[in-house]
Order: sequence, then structure tokens, then C-alpha cells
Amino acid sequence: MSTTVIFFLVLYYVVVLGIGYWAMRHGGSEDLEGYLLGGRKVGPMATALTLQSTSMSGYMFLGAGSLGFSQGYWALWYAAGDIGGGVLNLSVIGRRMRKLSQMFGALTSIEYLEKRYPSPAVRIFAGVLTVFLLGFYVLAQFIAGGKGMALVTGMPYPVALAIAVGIILVYTFMGGYLAVAYTDFFQSLVMLVGVMWILIAALGELGGLTAANNAIREVDPTLLSVWGKGLGFEGQWGIVAGALLVFSIGYLGWPHVVTRHMAMSRPATARRAGLWATVWNLFFVPTPYIVGILAILILPGLDDPEMAIFEVAGSLLPAAVTGLVMAAIMAAIMSTADSLLLQTGSIASRDLYERFINPQASERQMVMVSRGLVLAIAVIGYAIALVEPPTVFKIVIFATSVLGSAFLPAYFCAVWWRRANTPGALSSMVIGAAMAFTWEYAGYVETTQIAPMVAGVVSSTVTMIVVSLLTQRIAPVPPYIVEVMDEAATVGPIPKKLLAATDMSLAPEAAAIGAALARDEEAGRD
Amino acid sequence: MFGLPLETTLLVFGFPLLWIVYTAIFLLVTRDWEHDTPEEDGR
Repeated sequence: MSTTVIFFLVLYYVVVLGIGYWAMRHGGSEDLEGYLLGGRKVGPMATALTLQSTSMSGYMFLGAGSLGFSQGYWALWYAAGDIGGGVLNLSVIGRRMRKLSQMFGALTSIEYLEKRYPSPAVRIFAGVLTVFLLGFYVLAQFIAGGKGMALVTGMPYPVALAIAVGIILVYTFMGGYLAVAYTDFFQSLVMLVGVMWILIAALGELGGLTAANNAIREVDPTLLSVWGKGLGFEGQWGIVAGALLVFSIGYLGWPHVVTRHMAMSRPATARRAGLWATVWNLFFVPTPYIVGILAILILPGLDDPEMAIFEVAGSLLPAAVTGLVMAAIMAAIMSTADSLLLQTGSIASRDLYERFINPQASERQMVMVSRGLVLAIAVIGYAIALVEPPTVFKIVIFATSVLGSAFLPAYFCAVWWRRANTPGALSSMVIGAAMAFTWEYAGYVETTQIAPMVAGVVSSTVTMIVVSLLTQRIAPVPPYIVEVMDEAATVGPIPKKLLAATDMSLAPEAAAIGAALARDEEAGRD
Repeated sequence: MFGLPLETTLLVFGFPLLWIVYTAIFLLVTRDWEHDTPEEDGR
């Protein structure tokens, strides 16, 4: 492998570690809120780009290129939904979730669910499910990172894997969420430049998009259709709906993504972040799919479609640019892995350890416990990644569908539906996760031609509505939650009495007492 | 357009256009969000 390529990769790692060090110096880990949410001071552009780069893993460079190469323009159904995923997420729940999480004093997306739907069962189920699924997701990013490093540097896989995992760990440790957010920001720019460079080189090689499409028509005209190679997906609207939904509304239910709303510098950040997300997505999202399609002409004898983007870059670009592109691919993998690792550690420490094992833990202790758990997860992940379980990529794609199915109605209704109650949310999560899981493993996708995400989201949504309505009398939404929901709907600063009533350390029951005391105090002054 | 069938052209260019319009409408209808001030100044 060229030393120029390695030089660019090393340069990239140095910059990433430098950003982590900067975040540490700027208060990224001085207390629990600083470590887990960057002190809630992340601006619009960084919010948009950390949201997008966390959502787009190394799979964008491996899976998207592969899909374009194998199925032609059908692959663009995934991009069609994905382009709007960021602005949809920010516009629908961003501002209100930021405000509600502050009033609840919630530091993780799972803690937020328990405080909106008061019940330890909500936190246990959501916490365990999320740690389990994100753990698998992290594992796949480790494997992808290790393989990418090994391919680029020629190092043995175990060594390359150790380096990739080690670098992610070091900067996650250094600055917590702030380090993750700002390295994601940098990495999203590297990803964009890298992938656009390949596209421009590929179009130059083929004489432009029209000439390329005419040449593809000569190879197989069905590759230009919206129904895939050989019109294999013709009329399968259930599969098309799944492709559109998984990366658009699906993000609304991913706990590691919605945490980005809670860390915004102010509720209105969602507005400008939505604009940045759309701008970035318009350029980045369709490009890997189109490069995969163009690879049909550039690399007609390609054995492994997942290597389409790597191989196009290697065959068309000079070594220095290939180094940048390889850095972009590593950036996509690492920007997802670091967020997953931090979220998994945060949820396991805050939502399971502190909530149920050691409620007296100090903030300093919690940061240490979170770091210890991140280390433990990374070590376990490294050990499993060495074995390279063959089905891990399939499990990961599936895991994101289960997450979306389980949590989408819960996060959506948390801000929009005052009658969404604890039994409704809990049963919605259980049914959504179970349905998506069963749909995949019982083989219903083949027989019904409906994606697991569609089946899961429909069932969890119906469950949320029906169960909430049926249980209004026995489990009404507590008045203090309705009050903070009403406040979240308004534009303007949060009243001091609501902030005072939701101290970080208070459980929901204590928060209710605090709110009542604050109201009494105010009434007394009047 | 670009040598693509009509429905593929709509898929490739129509959906991005849809999201651009969605974003523009979102920015338009949420102009008052800028009045949100940091919570520390709460009323």
C-alpha cells in the first residue's frame, strides 16, 4: 500500500485525536451533563452533521455501493427517504424534545422515556433492548473499521482492529459527547469530500451521466428502472415503503440519534440544523449509490459488490486522493462507532447502574463508571470482532429496524400526544420490537413482501394508540407531565418554576412533589 | 433526462426536490422559534 495513502490516514487520525483533546480542554467531561450531552451547548451545524454522520455508518460506503452495483437505480429508493431523514427528525421532535428533556432533567434518551412515561419497567426494557442492539451495531462497526484498516495498510487484521478500536476509545474517553460531536462534524466533511471526489472522477471517466446511463442501457436496460435488475421488485410496494421509511422516519426511533436533540445549545437550534442536514444530505446521500451504479461500467468483472467504491477509488484516483477517500470511509465507520459506544456506555451506566444498582453515585463516579463500561464494551466487542461472526452485518441492519419499530411511536407521542401514557408506551415498545424481530425470522418478508420495519412501526403505532386510550382511566398521564408538555409546545424560555422542579437528581415522583411545592410557593407570594 | 426513464428521473430528482420544499416550508413556518432564549433566562 502506498505510503501516501497511509500518510493521509495518519494525518486524519491525528486531527481526530486533536479535536478530542480540544473538547476535553473545553469542559467536555467536567461533569455528567458535560460528558453525556456536551453541556447542552452544541450549535446548529455541528448538531446537523453529528446527527447525519452518526446515522450514516460505514455501510453507506459498503452497502450503498453494493446495492447500486447489484440493482441499479432501484437503490435510489433508500436515498429518496434518507435525504429528508435529518430535517424530518429535527422538525418533528427536535425543539420539543430539547425542551422537555431539560425540564425532565434527562441526560440520556432512555432516561427521557422513563420521565415522560413514569415507570421503572419502561427504563429497564428500553435500556436493556437498546444496550443489546447498539452493542451489536458497535461490533459491526469495529469489524468494518478493522477490515478497512487492514485493507489500506496491509497490517494483520487483529492489529488493524486494535488500532481502530483504540483510537475511537481514546477520543471518546477524552471529551465524551463534545468530542464525539465535533469529531463527527470534521468526519462528515471528510466523508463528503471523499465521496464527491470519487463521483466526479467516475463521471469524468465515463463522459458524463447521460453517456454513462446510455452505456448501462446497453448492458441491461432494467438497471435504469425503479424496479431493480430484471424488474425483480416490480410492484413490491411493501419493500419500497420499507426502503423509504427505514432511513427517513426510522431515525425518529433511534435512541443514539435522538440524543442529538437533547444536546442542542437551545431549542431553536433544531431550525437551522434542519437546513444544514438537508444541504449535507442532498450532496452526500445519493452519491455512494450512484458511484455503485457507475461501477457497473468501470469494473464489470468485480467479484465483491461491497468493494465497488473502494475499487473505483483505487482504479481512478491518484494515491493522495485515495488516501483521503480511505480516510472518509474510516470516518463514516468511526463517527458511528464512537456515538454508539458513548450511548451504550451512557445508557448502561445512567439508566441501569445508577437507576437500579447505585442511586447514590456522584457525578464524578458516574463519568468514571460510564468510561469503565465503554472500555468493557470495547474489549468485549474487540474479542468478538476477532472471531468475525459472518452474519453480523445482517444483524446490524436488522437491529436498526427493531430500534425504529420499538421506539418511534414512544418518542413521537412523547412530544405530540398528551394522552400517550405508560401502559401504551411500554406495550408499544414490546410489540414493535417483537413484531420486527418475528417478521424477519419467521420469513414473512418473502411471503408478504413487506419489510420488517413497516410491520414493526405499524404494529407499535396501533398498540400505542389503542392501549393508551383503553387505559386512560386506570393510568392517566400525571398532571405535571401534561404541564411540561404544554410548556414544550410554546416558544420562549422555560419558566423558572419548571426548571427548579426538575433537578437532575430527582426521580419523577420527587419531581412532581417539587413542582407542587414550587406552585404553592408562588401562590403564597401572590 | 440524463438518459433515464421518466419514473427513474422522478425518483432521482423528484424526491430531493420534495425535501427541499419541505425544508423551505419548515424554515418559513418556524421563524418565531428564534425567540427561544436560553433557559437560564427563564421567566
